[in-house]
Amino acid sequence: MNRPTSEVQISNFKDFLVFMQNELKPKGKILTPFNLITGSIILLGGVLILYRFIMGLGSVVHNSSEYPWGIWIGFIVMVGVAFAGGAYVTAFIVYVLRGEQYHSIVRMAVLNGFLAYVFYAGAILLDLGRWWNIVNPLIGNRFGVNSVLFLVAWHFLLYMIAQAIEISPAFAEWLGLKKARKFLASLTLGAVIIGITLSTLHQSGLGALFLMAKWKIHPLWYTEFIPLLFFVSSIFAGLSVVIFIGTVSFRVFDKDRIDEEYRKSWDDIIIDLGKACAITMFVYFLLQVLILVHGKNWALLNTPMGYWYLTEMIGLLLFPAFLFSWGVKSGNPAPIRIAAVLTMIGVIINRVDFSIIAYKWYLPLSERYIPTFMEVVITLAIVFTMVWVFRWIVNRVPILRKPPQWAIEQEQAEMEGRAIALAPQLGLTMADGGRPIEQHKK
Amino acid sequence: MEGFTYVDIFATKGIEYMLVISGLLSFAFFWRFLRRPAVAIYREAENFVSAIGDWFRLPTEGIYFHQGHSWAAPEGGEIVRVGMDDFAQKLLGKIDAIKLPQVGSEVAQGEKGWSLLVDSKSIDMLSPVDGKIVEINEGLLRSPESIGKDPYGESWLMKVQAPKISANLKNLLSGGLARKWMEGVRDNLLARMNYNLGAVSQDGGVPVDGIARNLDRERWDEIAKEFFLIS
Amino acid sequence: MVIDRRSFLKGLGAGIAGVAAGSSLLPGKLEAGGTPEDKEFMGVLVDTTRCVGCRSCEMACAEANKLPIPDIGDASAFDKIRSTSETQLEVVNRFKTAKGEVFVKKQCMHCNQPGCVSACPVKAMEKQKEGPVTWDTNCMGCRYCMVSCPFDIPKFEHYGATPKLQKCNLCWERLKKGEKPACVEACPAEALTFGTRRGLIEEANTRIYKTPKEYVSHIYGEHEAGGTGYLYLSSVPFEQIGFRNDLGTTAYPEYTKGFLYSVPVILLLWPAFLSGVSAITKRKENVRSKEGGKL
Repeated sequence: MNRPTSEVQISNFKDFLVFMQNELKPKGKILTPFNLITGSIILLGGVLILYRFIMGLGSVVHNSSEYPWGIWIGFIVMVGVAFAGGAYVTAFIVYVLRGEQYHSIVRMAVLNGFLAYVFYAGAILLDLGRWWNIVNPLIGNRFGVNSVLFLVAWHFLLYMIAQAIEISPAFAEWLGLKKARKFLASLTLGAVIIGITLSTLHQSGLGALFLMAKWKIHPLWYTEFIPLLFFVSSIFAGLSVVIFIGTVSFRVFDKDRIDEEYRKSWDDIIIDLGKACAITMFVYFLLQVLILVHGKNWALLNTPMGYWYLTEMIGLLLFPAFLFSWGVKSGNPAPIRIAAVLTMIGVIINRVDFSIIAYKWYLPLSERYIPTFMEVVITLAIVFTMVWVFRWIVNRVPILRKPPQWAIEQEQAEMEGRAIALAPQLGLTMADGGRPIEQHKK
Repeated sequence: MEGFTYVDIFATKGIEYMLVISGLLSFAFFWRFLRRPAVAIYREAENFVSAIGDWFRLPTEGIYFHQGHSWAAPEGGEIVRVGMDDFAQKLLGKIDAIKLPQVGSEVAQGEKGWSLLVDSKSIDMLSPVDGKIVEINEGLLRSPESIGKDPYGESWLMKVQAPKISANLKNLLSGGLARKWMEGVRDNLLARMNYNLGAVSQDGGVPVDGIARNLDRERWDEIAKEFFLIS
Repeated sequence: MVIDRRSFLKGLGAGIAGVAAGSSLLPGKLEAGGTPEDKEFMGVLVDTTRCVGCRSCEMACAEANKLPIPDIGDASAFDKIRSTSETQLEVVNRFKTAKGEVFVKKQCMHCNQPGCVSACPVKAMEKQKEGPVTWDTNCMGCRYCMVSCPFDIPKFEHYGATPKLQKCNLCWERLKKGEKPACVEACPAEALTFGTRRGLIEEANTRIYKTPKEYVSHIYGEHEAGGTGYLYLSSVPFEQIGFRNDLGTTAYPEYTKGFLYSVPVILLLWPAFLSGVSAITKRKENVRSKEGGKL
């Protein structure tokens, strides 16, 4: 039922239409409990989104001038972007460090990151009170170059383009576009390098947004190092999400969507990812201790907000870090999976703290922000739509399975073109290869 | 006027971002500019080496090399096939004509066996064996430029009846010895070229007019004679 | 004493209304055409010892900005400490202190270096050369200014198809016509003085110096959050009348300065570093694949 992609031959537009018509059909059972539940939430969310655009922001969200940012920014954008961090970390490992053994997960991570950005940037549109002006910072209806948010907006846009380039060879393989694939693949390294730079800046940039909310955020969370903390935590947040999505994907997708070798290598990869998480979290914890001491805030630990802080630091940071290390040492993926989920919860809480929980923590509960039912439904609808799109793509595009044979050959030809075929005895030629040469002028 | 007039602490930000963007673009170009020659050198080295590598792929069985870059292959009995090696051809490039002795005439090991006409200069080569010529490769004489195609097969030059065949072959190099000798030749050549890889064309092929002429436009024949042990 | 002060201020008020372009308290040339160098920040000095809590300013403000007119006769408004809202750009609060009831007007402080201005990604928030912090319609409604304001002033309309951001703009339209802000004009108790920030600080210092028993020796807004266009005098410590004393003297944009300054640097350094790492790993890989291939 799933045509091997290598057979795809599209020579004209009509072929393309036929191909798309065929591909657009659902693959797999439609009426599953998962589909029914998520589908109805998506439908309801869609209606509510329409309602929001017609009636205005206040008709849907908790209307509080004390809390400018609710869960759409505080959860969808802040958490979504941190969770998309897996894309730049994996791309760094595979394309820059050339850790070839992790190649099987890089497309999954990048696709997840790309979709996260598309959907979560979409969520910004929902949250903007004057959403029709969203193009202003981009078209220069005044460039607010003094603004952190201006930078974040541009980095968002550019990083989405970079990620689209990173993932595009997979789509070219799906459509059988050999020449396009070759061209797009040649852009990958450049896109990855720019992408990592942009990620560094806007992961930390999201933290920097809170730098001017000085007294509004509880001193246990507010520090001048927020940008750094956001950046470092995005590393293990992203990797935990890769562990989570990988585990789920390798279980739920049909066998013919997943390469058997990839599936087998997954258990080794998960251990390595767990190791990376454990170490980053350990360093992040030390950083937090350093910042706590630097801010002389230890007395605040023995307050209600202090207990909340400790829950986050110990229960959702140190404990999962310990689980990760345990899984790594015993070679057992099970604790790593649990740790990944705990870490994700920890990161969600951490991000939500900044804009909601620790933001104006001193207000009585009656004046605090509590998301409305409609906000929650729209949030869930966005997340589920993303899951659906992810599934749709994995079912068609070679994300978790190997690329078609022609693409592998193209890749190898590219490698060989670059490789230096020097006989070992001729090391001298290589070593002296840097000498200026007189070009043969015939 | 601190505190009484407006000071934009981010006044230069816009220019800075423009600078950074153009800086990144120029970095990309600079990076390519610096790396491309290195890559080109690698490519050339790679092609060059694969070209020389062919010379190492000396036929291990049945071919005996004379150090003047001719070879002999026993055909059975006293008959020996004689030719010039791949290196000789690549050194000289396009050969205009081959002057072989008449059938029936005698050649002697280590003495002039035939001569090649290249770029209006005549280069002699040494015969690898002693004996009487019984056959010459007429087809090759008609199209001397094809000599490089199959130097140890189709492109043989002549067949010699060599009465002292076993003694002759003992003076020639084969197998590991031939390989070692060819390595020496290569090092010699590299030293002369001063690693001037320009003598090898981009696609790894040897230039049509040969390595020697690219090393020294004027006195290339002397280089060739040196390699062919004539001088 | 009171009479003296009153009569002194009457004269001062008359001066502001009409004559003497040389006076430091005058708006000066606000019209376009003046070079930026002539333009100094204008501001308002609020003397809370004089405010009687009549809320005339609230009404004038609502009229000037075409917002719902508050019922200023309703004293129950003082029962609760109010904050500004999208329909009330300024509010007067009552605080019960050791020195009796103190009324405090609350509105945008018009910071010298406003956090909201540096937060705005489209420069919809602007600090005018003459002092007011104004809002423009190219705003996209991200509400980052609300997060960044040290005084929590900007308020966003949550309803309607084209919601606006509301905050006091020091009656920028009136200022351009050479008029005083509506609230200053409406104040019957001369609690509000409009003038250049420099002149107002001098005036405030003079009042503290002349009648030190009436005031705490502090002008709120002189240094708070880098200095503000609104300046306050009080008879009781400011934290007792609803002001934060933990804002520090650092202008709020300075908090993001470190990050913003590092962005171009990282944009230049990171790609170069990553390209270098990539070049090294590529070479290693080539060598490795070469060896692997030959053996």
